[in-house]
Amino acid sequence: MKRPLIALALLAGCASAGQSAGVANCHPDPERSEGEGAQGAPCPLRSAQGDTLHRDYLVFVASEGNDRIALVRFGQGKARVEREQRIGINPTELVGPHGLYVSPDGRWYFVTTAHGTPNGALWKFSTATDEPAGRVELGLFPATVQVAPNSHYAWVVNFNLYGEMTPSSVSVVYTDDMLEVRRIPTCVMPHGSRLSPDGKRHYSACMMNDALVEIDADRMELTRHFVLTAAAEHGMTGPVHPVEAGGKGSHSMSPALTCSPTWAEPSADGRTVWVACSKSNDVVEIDVVSWAMKRRVPAGEGIYNLAASRDGRVIVGTNKRGQSVSVIDAASGRELARIATTRRVPSGLVISPDSRFAFVTQEGVGSEPGTVDVIDLRTLGRVASVDLGQQAGGIGFWKSEPPAE
Amino acid sequence: MILLAVLPTLALAVQQPGTMPPSPVKRIEVRPTTRTITAGDSVQLSLRAIGADGKPVPEAVVWVRMRGGSGEGTVRPESFWLVASSVGKFPLGLSAVVPGSRPFIDSTSVEFEAVPGPAARVEVDRSAVTILDGQMLRLTAAAYSKANDRTADRIKWRSRDPKIFAVDEDGVLTGLAAGSGQVTASVPGASAAVEVRVLPGTISKLTLSPEKPAVRQGDVVTFEADARDAGGKPIAGLTPSWTFSPGDGQLAADGRFVAYRPGVYTVTATLGRRSASTTVHVRERGVRRSVTVVGRLPRTAFLTSEVWIHPNGKVAYLGTHGGGDRVYALDISDPGNPVVVDSLLANTRLVNDMQTTADGNYLVFTREGAANRKNGIVIADTRDPLHPKEIAQFVDGVAAGVHSVYIYEHPRHGRYVFLTNDGTGAIDIVNITDPAKPVRAGEWRTDRPDAARYVHDLDIVDGLMYASYWNDGLVILDVGNGKWGGRPQKPVLVSQFKYDLDSLYQEVEDVSGPGFARGTHTAWRQRGGKYVFIADEVYLNRPIKGAKDASSSRMYGTLQVVDVSDIEHPKAAAWYTPENGGAHNVWQVADTLYVGAYDAGFHVFDISGELQGDLRAQSREIASLNTADMGGAVRNAAFTWGVVVNPKDGLAYVNDFNNGLWVVRVDPKKATAPMIP
Repeated sequence: MKRPLIALALLAGCASAGQSAGVANCHPDPERSEGEGAQGAPCPLRSAQGDTLHRDYLVFVASEGNDRIALVRFGQGKARVEREQRIGINPTELVGPHGLYVSPDGRWYFVTTAHGTPNGALWKFSTATDEPAGRVELGLFPATVQVAPNSHYAWVVNFNLYGEMTPSSVSVVYTDDMLEVRRIPTCVMPHGSRLSPDGKRHYSACMMNDALVEIDADRMELTRHFVLTAAAEHGMTGPVHPVEAGGKGSHSMSPALTCSPTWAEPSADGRTVWVACSKSNDVVEIDVVSWAMKRRVPAGEGIYNLAASRDGRVIVGTNKRGQSVSVIDAASGRELARIATTRRVPSGLVISPDSRFAFVTQEGVGSEPGTVDVIDLRTLGRVASVDLGQQAGGIGFWKSEPPAE
Repeated sequence: MILLAVLPTLALAVQQPGTMPPSPVKRIEVRPTTRTITAGDSVQLSLRAIGADGKPVPEAVVWVRMRGGSGEGTVRPESFWLVASSVGKFPLGLSAVVPGSRPFIDSTSVEFEAVPGPAARVEVDRSAVTILDGQMLRLTAAAYSKANDRTADRIKWRSRDPKIFAVDEDGVLTGLAAGSGQVTASVPGASAAVEVRVLPGTISKLTLSPEKPAVRQGDVVTFEADARDAGGKPIAGLTPSWTFSPGDGQLAADGRFVAYRPGVYTVTATLGRRSASTTVHVRERGVRRSVTVVGRLPRTAFLTSEVWIHPNGKVAYLGTHGGGDRVYALDISDPGNPVVVDSLLANTRLVNDMQTTADGNYLVFTREGAANRKNGIVIADTRDPLHPKEIAQFVDGVAAGVHSVYIYEHPRHGRYVFLTNDGTGAIDIVNITDPAKPVRAGEWRTDRPDAARYVHDLDIVDGLMYASYWNDGLVILDVGNGKWGGRPQKPVLVSQFKYDLDSLYQEVEDVSGPGFARGTHTAWRQRGGKYVFIADEVYLNRPIKGAKDASSSRMYGTLQVVDVSDIEHPKAAAWYTPENGGAHNVWQVADTLYVGAYDAGFHVFDISGELQGDLRAQSREIASLNTADMGGAVRNAAFTWGVVVNPKDGLAYVNDFNNGLWVVRVDPKKATAPMIP
């Protein structure tokens, strides 16, 4: 008898809160307002007294070191692994799950597996049951993955970490049939890719070309690139020019590279792209319209992955070498906080659609477990932590819901 | 006003699930229409999206990719060149995307097959034969490409001397008159000739030897026919036709016979109108023995990989897998109680292979899955065997990972470790004469397209390397023997043994589709013998529907016995196919072969004498053990990785991927007590 009453109270609170906060298009049902394709943030959930109510947040995490996918539940100040599955076909071959993304409709999660022989793959699983729903082989070391707002296409960078130092590509997969429909050559070691909020443009970082690449997502064609090398930043139309970086079969850094970008993150309004320069420990902010650099923002050592809060307030980045997370004020570029992570090698992160929490994966070293830290973006502190499979990296937000019993 | 103008644009841009209209494309045309390609060759695919009106849809973005066969080749995404590195099947997925509509997908209608290249040589089972006037004898021949793949060409037989002998389309010779001549076996581009001598049909007596032999199952009996003329003089060199019954065994064209079951067999040689038979009494082989699990070291924290025994016989090293970052040092001085004494941590999550130097002073092991994703090998000082200490790493050019290593010491050239490079499919050669300072010394790779090259395992005996080169089969290299000019830094190819993997594992394609992963996985050169034991690793294309955990997959893989007595011409001799699993790693001591067969458990075979045919059918299996354990990292499912036999105690140290180490004794054969009435 209690649940319906609480739900009614929440809905009533939502309507009034949304109006009072001036949020014109918030959705009262968080299940329908979350995900990249949804328009509008969820209405803040408040009690009759106006306090924010606790909800549980669920994220999927990929552990590259021991082929595990975990569902992590965070709520009431605690995080725990709700369920876990092994990914792979053959027991003796580590497939190395690397990137992870939950489809905007929340029905599926997609995982890239990097360690194929020679190619990696993209897998599709049911969020409800973990049942596999498809697999498609892609290029060498598929890494970052994102599903487009329409849920029909997944975009995957073929990082090519271990192959020859040659230009690699971005794969486009039609997720209904799990078939690759396009592989777009881009640059050497593409990584850290994201679509603009409207799904029209795809951005990826070129680690060994010091460049950002833009793809027209409708036409599936490369349109522009931006050179990120310090003091030589500039935007260009067309593809990245071939750069001889490193020797044959080698992935050593070229001394000419100053940025070594690892992530490209469009802002919530789509007007800006933030690029993490892992080598120079800063973030480059690029204006999409003018295709010009707006500024460089200092970050932690080895800034690696980025996430932009949907409310547009902050950019959060993992500092891979610095064992910390930087929270950056998007408007001022000021680093609001640098928060130490529980373990070494912080890697992926995702921000809840309500912009309240950042979930940060840490790989650890060797047999150390992987870990997910939960950071409260209001208090700028770590509020929970949970260990899971080794080399935790890819992370995707599934949903929030009333607390589990 | 501005807001009103922007919102509809956004609504159009963000298409919601399920709202995409159907594609205007109705089919995708692929050229060339010939669907075969020569292995080692490439073909550029041309695609056109065709609409309902039969005309091209110009705005469609077409795309092709492989749905299988990525172990055998690739499709270049920038150019649609299909590169067929080796023989195999390439089912293709085709798509055409017209912006704003659902993609058109065709994932079933186009499959290319890479076939062997044109024949470069023909091999006939004999180089010369002598038959009688009126005798019929069948010759067999096969054609091979330059890449050593057997071609599908039908052999065309021709008698150059048709008045002396005839030959039909199946290679059956018929002697017509006394004399000599040649028969040719030819295919387009290659041929071979066989000398044929026809003698008058004047045999007065034909006998077989040995006469009425009594043997065991699996013993190979080489029969010879003794033909005499009217004067009782032997007629040398005649080649009889051989038959036997019942048909539960194997009889080669050269008279070598092996029986699979106990019983009485009749073997017959025919020379023209003369024939001779003898019986073979076959008794049970009687090698079956029980096993005793002497010791056990369950492992639960990590999956278990390779085991290796220090030359002192008192210390074993056990690798970890599936996130494992260490090598355990075990005290096995009491085999009944193996104890972990120490471990060596490394930046890895998979230690696949390891080996000590012959003097036991150093250990080399592989690294894959490193935290910084830069893999390679670790060299450890093992002069205190129970407490190995890392002294060096080698990472140059092997960041993708090293799967297998083999240490080779040459009296003149120094000490080397050979690595299998996961990234390039090459064998990398590293000089470790100073183990603390490993230095790259060279590399070797098969001569074929780079796409999908993979080398999995290495063995070296007498300066000859036996490399398990996946789709390139067994590759034999001179790495220090010198007869072929090889040295450690510069290996020289001696020979290659390839076989049709798709044909051998047709069952896997039948249950999981074409393009499954398969290849030559391990090779062991028999010490003190003429054989190489090779085993394949074969994977299903997908998990078994509806099954979970251990039942969701199974391995395949046949062990083949290859006769390398003529090392430049290796020949298949015998085989063992596990019933529900795949032969993985092997170990041989004298006349015993030990096999870790993954799901099929641990097996021991009697390999004494000549080997021919199906080893299991002829009851050469000595023992087996299902190494499942409720206490493992994976419970109640065997997945036997391999085995090392300790020369100090004669025990088999069997490593199970799922649950750790087993110390197994193959019990002595019990003496049969005399029956007292």
